[in-house]
Amino acid sequence: MHFKIRPAKKEDCKEISRLIMELAVYEKMPDQVKIAHEELERDGFCENPFFQCLVAEVPEEHKSKEGFTVVGYALYFYTYSTWKGRSIFLEDLYVMPEFRGNGIGKGLLCKVAEVGKKKECVRLQLSVLDWNTPSRDFYAAKGAQDLTVSEGWHAIRFDGQSLDNLANEAAKI
Amino acid sequence: MDFSIRAANVEDCKDIARMIVVSRHVRTYLEQDGFSKNPFFHGIIAEVPEQLRTKDGHTKVGYALYFYSYSSWAGRAIYMEDLYVMPEFRGKGIGKALMSKVAQLGLAAGCNQLNFTVLDWNKSSRDFYMSQGCCDVTTSMGYHCMRCEGEALQHLAQP
Repeated sequence: MHFKIRPAKKEDCKEISRLIMELAVYEKMPDQVKIAHEELERDGFCENPFFQCLVAEVPEEHKSKEGFTVVGYALYFYTYSTWKGRSIFLEDLYVMPEFRGNGIGKGLLCKVAEVGKKKECVRLQLSVLDWNTPSRDFYAAKGAQDLTVSEGWHAIRFDGQSLDNLANEAAKI
Repeated sequence: MDFSIRAANVEDCKDIARMIVVSRHVRTYLEQDGFSKNPFFHGIIAEVPEQLRTKDGHTKVGYALYFYSYSSWAGRAIYMEDLYVMPEFRGKGIGKALMSKVAQLGLAAGCNQLNFTVLDWNKSSRDFYMSQGCCDVTTSMGYHCMRCEGEALQHLAQP
C-alpha cells in the first residue's frame, strides 16, 4: 500500500486528536483524554513547541471507510539524559487497524529515529502497557529493551491535587 | 538549615557535572545542551551560605534537572530527570524544596503532570516520593519504560 510520512501541520490537529482518542480506546482509558485539537494546535505549533508530530497519509483512493486519509501518527519530544545526553521520547505511535500490516508503524518509528539522529540524540525512549503484547513484541523486535523488567525502573507521576500540593510547598522556601 | 533555590546558569555546569559524577559516571555536554537557544533541559540549584560550605569549599549542594514534555491525553507536562542533594546536606528539606520548585515551575507553565522514574530497589527515594502523594504508574497502570539505543537505534534511523 502506498503511503507518505510527513511532519504534521497545524491543520492536521483535528485528525491527530481523532487518532489519539482511538489509541486511548485501544489502551482501555478513553476517559483519561482531557485535551482536544485546540490544545494540540496551541502546544505543538507555537514558538517553543512542547512536542513534534509526524502523520502517515494514504492517497484518496485508499482512504478509510469513513473517508480519512490521515491513518497514523507519531508524537514525540526531545528529552535529556544526564547519563548519555540528548534523547527523544516517543509519546504515541498509532496506526488505524485497517491500515496495519503495511509497514506504516515501522515507517513512523524509523522516521522518528532518523529525526533524532539528525539532532544527535543517542536514545529513543517510550512506555508501553504491560498487557499490550503486540506492541511490546513490535518494539522488542526493533531492539528496544524493557528497562522496567531489566533494571527495575518505575514511572512516577504527580498530577491533580498531588501536583498542586507539591507546588504549594515551594512558596514556603 | 538556611538554603536558597534558584535557576541554574551556564557557570553552574561545573558544579552540576561534579554532583552528577558523584552519583553516576557520565559524560555530557551540559553547557551546550542546557544553555543554548533551544535548551534540552533546565536546571535549578540549591545553595547554602558560605559559612555552611562543604569541606571542599562548595556552596552548591543540590540540583534538579527538568524539561518540558507532553501527554497526548493530559497536555503539557514537566519531567524531572535528576534530583540530587549531597549526602551531608540531606534530611534538611532541600530535596523536597527542589522537587516542589519543579512542580511550581511546571504549574506556572501550564503543565498538568510532573513525571520522573525511580528504581524499584531505591526504597528511600520511593518512600520519599510516595510520602509527597505521587502515583507509581508502573505498578498501578502497568506502564513499562522502554529504550532503544546504540546499534538498535542506528539501525532504526537508517532511511
